[in-house]
Amino acid sequence: MGRMLIIARLAAKDIRYRPAQAILLLVAITAAAAVLSLGLVMRGVTTQPYQQTRAATRGPDVVADLFFGPSNPGSPCLGANCSSSTSTSGDAATLAGKASALEHLQGVTGSTGPYQIAEAVITTANGHRAGVVAEGRDEAPAAIDQPLVVSGTWIRPGGVVLERTFAEALGVSVGSKVTIAGYPYTVAGIAVTAAEPPYPNLCYATGGISACGALDITSRDFGMAWVTRADAATAAKASGMPLMYLMNLRLSDPSNAEALVSAYNNSKQGPTASTSLVAWQDIATADGLLIADQQTVLSVGAWLAALLAIASVAVLAGGRMAEHNRRTGLLKTVGGTPGTVAAVLLAENVVLAVVSAVAGLAIARLAAPLITNPGAALLGTAGAPSVTAAIAAEVLVVALIVALAATTVPAIRAARRSTVSALADAARTPRRHALMVALSARLPVPLLLGVRMATRRLRRAFLSMASIAVTVAGLVAVLAFHTLADHVIDNAMTGSIGLTDPVVQRDSQMLLVLTIVLLALSTLNAISATWATVLDTRHSSALFRALGATPRQVSAGQIMAQVMPAIPGAIVGVPLGILLFWAANGNGGLNWPSPGWLVAAVLGTLAAVAAMTLLPAWLGTQQSPASVLQAEMA
Amino acid sequence: MNEPIRVKGLTKSFGKGAALVRAVDDIDLSVAQGETVAIMGPSGCGKSTLLHMTGGLERPTSGSIMLAGQELTELGERGLARLRRTAVGFVFQAFHLVDELTARENVELPALLAGQSPRAARQRALELLARVGLTDRASFLPAALSGGQRQRVAVARALSNNPLVVLADEPTGNLDSAATLDVLRLFDSLHAAGQTLIIVTHDPRIAATADRMFTMRDGLFIDETRLTGGTSGNLGALAGLPELKG
Amino acid sequence: MQEVILAMLAKEPSHGYELRSRLRGALGPVGEAMNAGQIYVTLGRLEKAGLVACELEAGQGPDRKVYMVTAAGQQRVAAWLAEVGWPGPAPTEFHLKLAAAAAGRLADPVALVDAQRRELLRLLRDTQRAALDEPPGTDAGLLLEGVALRLQADLHWLEACERHWLKRAGGKT
Repeated sequence: MGRMLIIARLAAKDIRYRPAQAILLLVAITAAAAVLSLGLVMRGVTTQPYQQTRAATRGPDVVADLFFGPSNPGSPCLGANCSSSTSTSGDAATLAGKASALEHLQGVTGSTGPYQIAEAVITTANGHRAGVVAEGRDEAPAAIDQPLVVSGTWIRPGGVVLERTFAEALGVSVGSKVTIAGYPYTVAGIAVTAAEPPYPNLCYATGGISACGALDITSRDFGMAWVTRADAATAAKASGMPLMYLMNLRLSDPSNAEALVSAYNNSKQGPTASTSLVAWQDIATADGLLIADQQTVLSVGAWLAALLAIASVAVLAGGRMAEHNRRTGLLKTVGGTPGTVAAVLLAENVVLAVVSAVAGLAIARLAAPLITNPGAALLGTAGAPSVTAAIAAEVLVVALIVALAATTVPAIRAARRSTVSALADAARTPRRHALMVALSARLPVPLLLGVRMATRRLRRAFLSMASIAVTVAGLVAVLAFHTLADHVIDNAMTGSIGLTDPVVQRDSQMLLVLTIVLLALSTLNAISATWATVLDTRHSSALFRALGATPRQVSAGQIMAQVMPAIPGAIVGVPLGILLFWAANGNGGLNWPSPGWLVAAVLGTLAAVAAMTLLPAWLGTQQSPASVLQAEMA
Repeated sequence: MNEPIRVKGLTKSFGKGAALVRAVDDIDLSVAQGETVAIMGPSGCGKSTLLHMTGGLERPTSGSIMLAGQELTELGERGLARLRRTAVGFVFQAFHLVDELTARENVELPALLAGQSPRAARQRALELLARVGLTDRASFLPAALSGGQRQRVAVARALSNNPLVVLADEPTGNLDSAATLDVLRLFDSLHAAGQTLIIVTHDPRIAATADRMFTMRDGLFIDETRLTGGTSGNLGALAGLPELKG
Repeated sequence: MQEVILAMLAKEPSHGYELRSRLRGALGPVGEAMNAGQIYVTLGRLEKAGLVACELEAGQGPDRKVYMVTAAGQQRVAAWLAEVGWPGPAPTEFHLKLAAAAAGRLADPVALVDAQRRELLRLLRDTQRAALDEPPGTDAGLLLEGVALRLQADLHWLEACERHWLKRAGGKT
């Protein structure tokens, strides 16, 4: 095992020798790992909380909407809490008949309700106005769908319980005063349920209630509430809406719900009789709508982050290859086989990759609660499992693959090279490009220097081009997504009066985080590329200065050398970004950001590249040429 | 100008306090037009630093350097760059040729940096390569040239802008004996053409081509020898002729 | 010198002046200071030793003598050609001079070394000058190269001497 020890020590030495590069690599892979982990976590989150809520509230397998045409002054009521005494026996009988028919459907093992619902206008003390669907319930817990109170208490006369996301959007808490259909209520509690999708999808999405929207409030601005049966009846009468009831059904086989619902809705018994059924799977999907957008954002982001990370890794690995060659030669002269050489490189890369992956997972773990708090409607609390062992394993595997990939190419090259040639050239000797040399002779001095410095390391110039393309693509994709989000906000805003749309808000937050991560990664990428290039051209710069070029000309040349490959990269990045967004958005069409923003993105990136080169270039000119040239000889 | 180079009180120190090292310690030097001056000394004695400061590649800590009538310590980086374009040509021990340029392109470089047209630069480069005897190697890359040839290309490059003085830092340090002879011959021809030369070396053979020789140790000149003038012995005695006794 | 002359006669008999010019040609500037009479002295000794025979041509003066090598002379030449001895490289006398000067406080050894260095440098300069004046590829040029290289070696040794004796002086005080 002595061999392993030597390999380990060599790897550690190497990392310590060039800590800056190792750190950059670490950060790049960590960022990618964090985004990847979050994406995987998001995938797992969608169904989880809904299942939790369903279990905690004894959620229904099927929900039935019973719709009774234009309102009657005397509304039928059932049960002891009925406040109105006028009721036509006809309506009550019809209702009882429908309820019985549903109870006796094949596969139904139990039911609760029918509960009357009142569709009314709700106003709050802080001036918000929205639509509410108030379900009249018993104070005693129900066998199916007993909403779980997360703060405050259950209903009482004059006390209303609001659905959690709705309460958040309205800006009310336990004890706040609201009015429903003109009647004053106090918020007795806040609860979650699995029987209906949370605000704003209550009336908006498939799986919610199908018959709201008669008021002058947009369907996105409706939320669920629970009141006593008497209060529901009062509110329904006051708002003058058609009679509506909800029933909750339990099935012997819950997985059968969709089949049963579609059979029922397509049969003669179906909606023509003003009864429609909704399966719990559809409700789950509607719940998930809140997350779906976030997932899109994260998946686009994850792809972009991964690509940028790969580009960074490639550039950094390319930079390390230069010293690697020399060290390979040395290792071989002291008896190391190509296997040893590869082992050392693999050890370094694996260590870096594993450390980065762990760091990324840790970050994801810390950040997950902020993001997996899905609209506050479902039971995603801080204690919910975020980064599972499975996710950690997946991310680690990806990191190891990256490490392997980064090792293979240099290892093969190193093995193939002869020892002597590896020792002889300290760095990869630049190839000659006669055409570029001849052309550059006709250019003014800064451009001459720039072209010559860029063509020295053509591969690195291409890599720069690629990473700038990816950066601009990322920016353009984010812009496109912002445009989309703006449209959504515009659509959502028509009609609603200042209610914050948690979907949009969450998306904007996600977008912001993603934009920041992307910018950070691309800045990192650009910095590492520019520093690496400037370091690489230190010797040339010193020589040019010794031959009579001014520091300003040399700095200008360095900047040119970076900007020239960046220009085509940035231009290619625009369509690439649109493509990426379109691919990640799936069904959505192409959202073109305004040309002004696109131009700004391209020019801004180029300016940033120039600015980032300026600092290391200027630092380089502060040293005397002699010291650089002397150092090269050592 | 009779004395193109005049150095007074030149000092370069590195470090601070207890760790202060005087690489060059209060040196005075005057070089006349057309003179070849050699500076000899062991490694680390500061001779290279002295040369770099004379050519404006390094800034002195104190002292004055007059080159071509200009005071180097008063010039900014641009001024120094201009001086290096017009008045100074450098030859380095490590050659410092650009690996991906041919010999001709390497020699063209200073002219291009000085703003000359590509054609004029090319013309001049071919002239200079002819002068150093490498016309047939003009389109070779440095990797395809021997050490001596590379150094000759470097000398041609140094002459590109007709400099007032050529500064050579260990020009034969990386060369074998035969290549050294080539470079020796070249310097001799430069001297014959009236070029002012300052050569830093620890090879006595190169030093012996000079008119004046300084010995440097620990940043100070400890000896100055005038090498022109008759010798006390004769070559025959030196060559052991009396030993071939008859 | 004896063997050299013998070898020169080995191919064919020659006059004294022919030998002299051939020697001059091979030595180049190094041979300029060579005494003209040296040749004849050597030839006389060789004759006495029976390695060379001499014939008189019609005419006046020593230039009329023609010299040729004898069988014994040929043998001697063959043996000389096969020898691989080399003149000793040790500058023993100078070394002892320095030691004596130091021990007896007669002079500063470092000053002696410096003086010798200057001298050798001047000699080196002259040698190189002469070498450069020679057209490339001549035998004389090769000899000058040898002189220059040995001077270079001697100068390196003198630098070492300087360091050594400086240290000695530093150690003492």
